[in-house]
Amino acid sequence: MKLLSSFKKELILASRGFYFYVELIFALVILAVLLFAIPQNFSGTSTEYLYFNLPQEGKEIFKNIILEDDLDTKSEMVEIKAGGKTFNAELIVTDESEIYIVNSEEAVRMLAETHRNIGAVLELDDNNQLHYKYYLQGYESTRLKNLISILFNESTDVLKERIENQDVRPLSTGYEPLNDRENTIPPLVAFSGSLMGMFIMASYIFLDKKEGVIKAYAVTASSVWQYLMSKIFVVLLTSVVSGIIITMPVMGFSINYGLLLLLLLTTGFFASSLGLLIASFYNDLVKAFGVIYLILILMMVPSIAYFIPGWDPVWIKIIPSYPMLQGFKEIILPNGDIAYPLIASAGFLTAGIVLFAITNIRFKKTLSV
Amino acid sequence: MIKVEGLYYSYSNDDNFAVKDVSFEVAEGEIFGFLGPSGAGKSTTQGILTGLLQLQKGNASVAGYDIKNISRKMFNKIGMSFEQSNVYSKMTAKENLSFYSKLFDVETRDPIELINLVGLGGKENIKTGEFSKGMKHRLTFARSMINNPSMWFLDEPTTGLDPAIAADIKDIIKEHNNKGVTVFLTTHNMFIADELCDRVAFIVDGVIKLIDSPKILKLQYGKKLVEVEYVQDGNVKKETFSTIMQKDKDLLNQIIADKEILTMHTKEATLEEIFIKVTGRGLV
Ligand SMILES: Nc1ncnc2c1ncn2[C@@H]1O[C@H](COP(=O)(O)OP(=O)(O)OP(=O)(O)O)[C@@H](O)[C@H]1O
Ligand SMILES: [Mg+2]
Repeated sequence: MKLLSSFKKELILASRGFYFYVELIFALVILAVLLFAIPQNFSGTSTEYLYFNLPQEGKEIFKNIILEDDLDTKSEMVEIKAGGKTFNAELIVTDESEIYIVNSEEAVRMLAETHRNIGAVLELDDNNQLHYKYYLQGYESTRLKNLISILFNESTDVLKERIENQDVRPLSTGYEPLNDRENTIPPLVAFSGSLMGMFIMASYIFLDKKEGVIKAYAVTASSVWQYLMSKIFVVLLTSVVSGIIITMPVMGFSINYGLLLLLLLTTGFFASSLGLLIASFYNDLVKAFGVIYLILILMMVPSIAYFIPGWDPVWIKIIPSYPMLQGFKEIILPNGDIAYPLIASAGFLTAGIVLFAITNIRFKKTLSV
Repeated sequence: MIKVEGLYYSYSNDDNFAVKDVSFEVAEGEIFGFLGPSGAGKSTTQGILTGLLQLQKGNASVAGYDIKNISRKMFNKIGMSFEQSNVYSKMTAKENLSFYSKLFDVETRDPIELINLVGLGGKENIKTGEFSKGMKHRLTFARSMINNPSMWFLDEPTTGLDPAIAADIKDIIKEHNNKGVTVFLTTHNMFIADELCDRVAFIVDGVIKLIDSPKILKLQYGKKLVEVEYVQDGNVKKETFSTIMQKDKDLLNQIIADKEILTMHTKEATLEEIFIKVTGRGLV
C-alpha cells in the first residue's frame, strides 16, 4: 500500500520531469533510425566467393569475363580467413561487388558461412553441361532468389521443369540469421532500455538528494527500501515501454514477448539497482559522472564485439551487457535458444537483488540531518 | 519520553566528536529546548534520536523504542520538522502532504487543514518549487504534524520566518503541547525558547553545559546582573556582569576602582545573557 502510494508519487514526479520523456523520445528516434536509415542489409557492394570446378581453359574464360568489369582489369592475389583456416584467393573488384575466386568448394562454403556472403560453384555435370551451385544465407530477398532460379534458362518452356528440378538444400538447420536491421535491435534495446535505466535512476536520486526528501521519507513508518523500489518501478516501466517501442514495429508478432518482457524487467532491475548503488556514493550527477561514464564505456565493449563476428574474447563475457545482448538476440532469433534468456534473466535478477540489498544498507547509513 | 545516556557521535568515525557524552531525559508532555551556537551538535543529537544517524555509542530510547534497533512503528508516533526544508518541488503543497500522509499506519490529518494552519491557505495547489524559502519551511513544519505525533522533533522551526509568522508557529507548538504532545525543540531563538520551554539544555561544542528550567535560571541569575557603562581609552563601553560569579565580581571591582563610571544599574537577565554567562559563548 505504501509502496503503491510511493510508486504513484514517483510516476507523478517522473511525468513532470525531463528524463522520463528523454528516454521515450530516444526510443522513438532509434525506431525511426532503424526503420528509415538502416537498410535490411548494410553494404551497397556485395561480396561473393566463386569456385570454378572446371578445366583450366574454362576457368580462364570465366575469369576473363569477370575481369572486364574489374576497376583496373587486374586481379590481385589475397589470403582470406574463415573458420580458423586461411584460403588463397584471387580478388576481383568491380563497382558492384568484390569477387573472390578460390580453389575449392570447401573454401566457398566456409567463407560464405563465416562472412555471411553469397558463394557459388561452377562445375560440369555428367553431360558436360555447366552446373551452378549457390550458397545463400537464407535472408536474401525473394527477388534475388527468383532471379538466380531463372537466370540460366534460355527458354521459358523448360523453365518450370528446370526450376522444379533444382535442388535447394538447407545446410545449417535451426538457424535462420537475422537481417541487418533486426541484428541491430539487441544492442539498441540493451542500451536505450536497460542501461539508460542506470543513468536515469542515478539522475532521479540526485534530484531527490538535492531536495533532501529522502530524509523526510526516512522518518516515516515506511521503509527506505520501498522508496527505492518505487523508483525502480518507474524506471522499469520506461525501459519496458522504450524496449517495446523499438522492437515491435520491426519484429511484429514473430517473437516471444513474454520472454522479451522478462529480460527487459530483469536487466532493467539490475541496471537501475546499479544506478542506485552509484548514486549512494555521490551527492550530485557531476561528481558521479566519471564513474557512470566509465561503466557505460565498459558496457559498450560487448556491443562492439557483437558487430565484429571474429572478435569474441572470453573476458568480454563477464561484462553484464554481453549476456544482455545475447539474451535479446536469442529472443528475436526465429529459432533462438529459450534457455539463454531465461538463465540470463535469473542471473540479472539475482545480481539485481544483491545490488539492491547493498544499496538499501548504504542509503540507510548515509542519511544526514 | 526520551532518555539519552552517554551519547557520542563522530561523523568521521574517530575521536573527533560532534556530540560528546550527552545525557538527558525529556518527560512526557514537556517542551525541552536544545540551545546552542551553530555547530554545537543540536541537529546531530536530534538526528540520532530520529534514526537518521546511526547510534554509535551510548544509549537512547524515544517514545518507548530503543534507538539501537529502531522499529518502523516508532515513526507513527514521531513528527520531525527539518532545519532545511525538504519538500518535492515538482509537487503542490497539497500533493506533498497527501503523499506523506500515506506513509503512516495511523490516522492522519487533513492536508488542507494543516496548510491553512501554517498560513499557506490558498496556496495548496501551487508547486512548492514556486514557494519562497519561508513558505517551504512552514510546509515542512506542517508536514511534521500529519500523523498526530505524540513526540515532536522541531529543528529550528522559526528560522528565517518573519516575527509575526514565527509567533504563529510558537502558538501552534504551545497548543499542541497543551494537548499532551512532547516537544524536543532545537533553536537559536532565545525568546521563543524562553516562552515555550519547560526546561532547556545549553550545548556548546557537543557538550551539555547545563540543563534547567528558564524560570529557575532566571531566579538564580535574576536581578543579579549589573550593566555598567564606563569610559575606556576615550570610548564609552557597556558591559554586563554577574554578581554571583567570582570572576565577574573581580572584574566589576576593578572597573569601579580604575575607570570612570557613566551609568550602572541592575537588570533582569534574559535567557540569552544567561547562556553567555554560563557558557562563555554567544549564540551565533
Ligand atoms: N554531514 C556532516 N559531516 C561531517 N560533519 C558534520 C556533518 N554535519 C555536521 N557536522 C559537524 O558536526 C558538528 C555539529 O553539527 P550540527 O549540525 O549538529 O550543529 P547544530 O548545533 O545543529 O548547528 P546549527 O545551529 O548550525 O544547525 C559541527 O562541527 C559540524 O561541522
Ligand atoms: Mg542544526
